Amino acid sequence: MSAVAAERRTYLVLGFATTHQALDAERVLLECGVTAKLIPAPIELGGALCGIALRVPAEKSEEAENCLSRASLPAEATVRMEDY
Amino acid sequence: MSRPEGPHSNMTYLDHAATSWPKPAPVVDSVARALVELGGNPGRGAHALALSTSRAVFEARRTCSELLGVADSRSLLFQPSCTVACNVMLKGTLRRGDRVVVGSMEHNAVVRPLARLKAEGLKVEIVRADSAGLIDPADVERVVRSGPTRALICQHASNVTGTIQPLGDLADIAHENGAILLVDGAQAAGHLSVDIDSIRPDGYAASGHKGMLGPPGIGLLYLSPELEVAELIQGGTGGGSSASSEMPSHRPDRYEAGSGNTPGMTGLGAAAGLLAEKGDSFREHSSDLMRQLHEGVLDIAGFRVLGPPPEEPRVPLLSIVHKTIEPDRIAFLLDRDYSVAARAGLHCAAWAHESVGSLAGGAVRLSVGWTTQAKDVDRALCALREIVS
Repeated sequence: MSAVAAERRTYLVLGFATTHQALDAERVLLECGVTAKLIPAPIELGGALCGIALRVPAEKSEEAENCLSRASLPAEATVRMEDY
Repeated sequence: MSRPEGPHSNMTYLDHAATSWPKPAPVVDSVARALVELGGNPGRGAHALALSTSRAVFEARRTCSELLGVADSRSLLFQPSCTVACNVMLKGTLRRGDRVVVGSMEHNAVVRPLARLKAEGLKVEIVRADSAGLIDPADVERVVRSGPTRALICQHASNVTGTIQPLGDLADIAHENGAILLVDGAQAAGHLSVDIDSIRPDGYAASGHKGMLGPPGIGLLYLSPELEVAELIQGGTGGGSSASSEMPSHRPDRYEAGSGNTPGMTGLGAAAGLLAEKGDSFREHSSDLMRQLHEGVLDIAGFRVLGPPPEEPRVPLLSIVHKTIEPDRIAFLLDRDYSVAARAGLHCAAWAHESVGSLAGGAVRLSVGWTTQAKDVDRALCALREIVS
């Protein structure tokens, strides 16, 4: 159990105001070569209880945020989280 | 293209201004795919099926935006119809005491919301069209300048005369006088190469199932990013704002409360993709048919054509009035004896018929589309000749 926990990856989770923006961000990140996964928005993002969020591997955080910033699609909120 | 098998496969369908038929195969396939494969509720949930459906709606909105020249697809909203879009555009923008200037060729999708708003204190000034259904920008400018004007409201093209209104001039007049331009583009989108970025409206409503060739039950509304418009419907939006009792301010969610019409949206997206590829050839084809139809009708004694002369541009519809035979009789005989579908009456546009002198009996409207062939026009012209002979 502890071995599994030690292997858990850390991600940056990005929350957006609308599904449209989250999907647009997924598209933009793909064009930047950053693989992102759409997930149910975690409660840690605050308020976004039934929305969707994007998560990217922690090591890709800076690249992802720069990519979204260039596309004028910054996340409304972010949180670093381990895999569930 | 051959028509689909069915009880009406031999019909000469000249009612494309009411709705396009048959629908292009990519549209039918997209609607079917939405029903069979995209069963999730877009924007609701993050499981694989919901996400696939959300992505399909997202792409449909982007495709429609690219076709219509909308730079930011968040400003293009899916609506249940062009009529609903007109209601949102007008009722979400105008307030008691506002003064608006509107052309006299409007459809009831604009006339009736304005009537409701007028009863609540809106001041409505009407600019009368000329005998061809054209709104003269000089007339508009004179009325706009005669008092503080919140909005100039004008259709893009008439569903009665086919007249194409000078929206570029009207946008200049509105914006130079501190007003917004709100446009009903029901008969224009698809039939004309609509470029929102060039037209510069503040609001533009479009039908999805007429010239856009999409399925029924879907329309579009463009709202400029700067325009504050109150939403008419409140409810669930599926986004990240469920904790609030207030509607979110973000687009498109603010104007798309409730579960959406996924087959309609993706079907319209497929239609927009087709039009991006083949729209120019469809329009050239329709233009040729309209010339044939218009000149053919003028060769039959007793008919008067409403709207511009043959050499001037129009959207692909032709309304005609016979000097002795009522329009409803002509449409009935076309259908019963010749299997030609046409629409008689006032076309939900009494203002327009009044403007061009056909309010008393209406007209017979013939409208061509992407599947109409020259032989269909010939068949209709032969039928008209026999009916009035």
